[in-house]
Amino acid sequence: MDTAIQTTAGVEAAFSLSDYFPILIYLVIVLLFAIGTLFLSHFLFVKPRKETAVKMMPYESGMDPIGSARLQFDIRFNLIAILFLVFDVELLFLYPWAVVAYTDLGDPLWRNELTGGMITISHIIFLEILVFLGTLGIAYFYAWRKGVFQWR
Amino acid sequence: MVSFSLLYTLLIIVVVIGTIMGSVAYLVLLERKVSAYVQDRLGPNRVGPFGLLQPMADGLKLFLKEEIIPKHVDKLFFVLAPGVAIATALMAFSIVPFGPTPATPAPVPVVALNADESALFQWMNDQKALKEFNYQKETYQQQYTFAIAPGLDIGLLFTFAIGSLAVYGVILGGWSANNKYSLLGSIRSSAQIISYEIPLGMSILGLVLFVGSLNLEKMIAWQSSNGWFILYQPLAFLLFMISVFAETNRLPFDLPEAEQELVGGYHTEYSSMKLGLFLTGEYIHMVTTSFLMAILFFGGWHFPGLNDIEGLTGTIIKFLILAAKTGAFIMLYMVVRWTIPRFRFDQLMSLAWKKMIPLALLNLLCVMIALEYHSPKWVLTLTSIMILAGGVLIQIRFESNSLSRSSSPSSRINMDPTGETGKLSPSSPS
Repeated sequence: MDTAIQTTAGVEAAFSLSDYFPILIYLVIVLLFAIGTLFLSHFLFVKPRKETAVKMMPYESGMDPIGSARLQFDIRFNLIAILFLVFDVELLFLYPWAVVAYTDLGDPLWRNELTGGMITISHIIFLEILVFLGTLGIAYFYAWRKGVFQWR
Repeated sequence: MVSFSLLYTLLIIVVVIGTIMGSVAYLVLLERKVSAYVQDRLGPNRVGPFGLLQPMADGLKLFLKEEIIPKHVDKLFFVLAPGVAIATALMAFSIVPFGPTPATPAPVPVVALNADESALFQWMNDQKALKEFNYQKETYQQQYTFAIAPGLDIGLLFTFAIGSLAVYGVILGGWSANNKYSLLGSIRSSAQIISYEIPLGMSILGLVLFVGSLNLEKMIAWQSSNGWFILYQPLAFLLFMISVFAETNRLPFDLPEAEQELVGGYHTEYSSMKLGLFLTGEYIHMVTTSFLMAILFFGGWHFPGLNDIEGLTGTIIKFLILAAKTGAFIMLYMVVRWTIPRFRFDQLMSLAWKKMIPLALLNLLCVMIALEYHSPKWVLTLTSIMILAGGVLIQIRFESNSLSRSSSPSSRINMDPTGETGKLSPSSPS
């Protein structure tokens, strides 16, 4: 924010990495805090330490554990993960659009220089996003018909 | 503070960590008291007056308990997981303004040049805008900011990004424990967290369209002059609240640690302070999301009639308003925990994918169209209510359909209340 730049919106602050320094410092302190707590509770205190064979066993409600815990898990969880990727990437595309789409930037020239004011760029963007959401809707509908969301 | 000051930042960080840790300790006490009163008990009342020293005793107990690292675990990840959980929980708070923080100045528009004016006028206009910008920057820098990293334009997105990293703590903890309960709990938890991430992100898009920024201070500034978002986006608030409950694994959605099914879920094998860190992380998420709900939908520190008080009194009043709103949401968390029973897993998934995502998409579409055609904002209140009512009506209609068909065993196993997929998909057993 130390230097000013001129954009289509007017004079505004240039991106400066120093805005993010507090986060870096906070990250370091948080990591120290987490590691410190784990370390303290592990070494510093005088606490009971009696290892018995039963205590070191996996807990299965008092029964002797049967087989390994590295189980195969349901394929549907995998399906959920794939769906999440699709929808989350779509969300990531929508965020930048949402930030700039309808802010009052004093309607700068670039918005209607293409067609002399008849169709502005904001109209085109609106239609494009409708198409984008439309394809998303079709994909969603297809997944629904395929029974992907069915948890049975 | 824009001119970055190490001392001020360190001070704020220390205060934030201290306050969060202290309030989490007392939230545990509050939770136990609330649950006791809901169940007609007294709750903890032995340590100190009204049990007020109970958090110290609890913390000391967690520290002094024997720390068991069972033989069968993957040691590195087992020890690392609680650290990841607490670090991500704390990091998500870094952009949340917890007190009155001014918004960064908006871009200063340059007066456009007419065709007959010379380049000299353009230069003068530029200088005028630059001067105005410098003036705004100086006034901004003179004010106090109450956030660890104030004025970040990435704001909300950063919180969501860090918040979803929390799933790593859960997955690492559950997998490395090498216990069937832990594994099941962590898989459930990650499926739940990533499913609800989508309605969470989508419900916010309408707000972002209005404000044109992800910066939380700007969100509050917008709401101070235009009215709280709960008025224009009630549906978005409902979706956001439900998603946030699911993200924090609080009770209607606490399947990852459903005691009756999975013992302790992903932290079954944890003991001592490692368990404590997991639980603390969960409570910190609760605090952060309560702040977010208060800031995004209820105007943060804005309250009609109390916003124009200047000076120290004004600052304190704004602090109190924000704290009261946040506290109300924390109380909501606790009351909901003891009133609404747990979902089944298929209900949980169908709520996220079949109900909340379509509702959020429709809501986003409405906001888009309303903004494109410059409709008044109250139209969105109506559309929100209409979308919700429509959804409920469709739900009721299909539910009665599927109830009448529930005589066949296949449709009872097929838990889909809308009954649509059962009819349409060729692979369905019905």
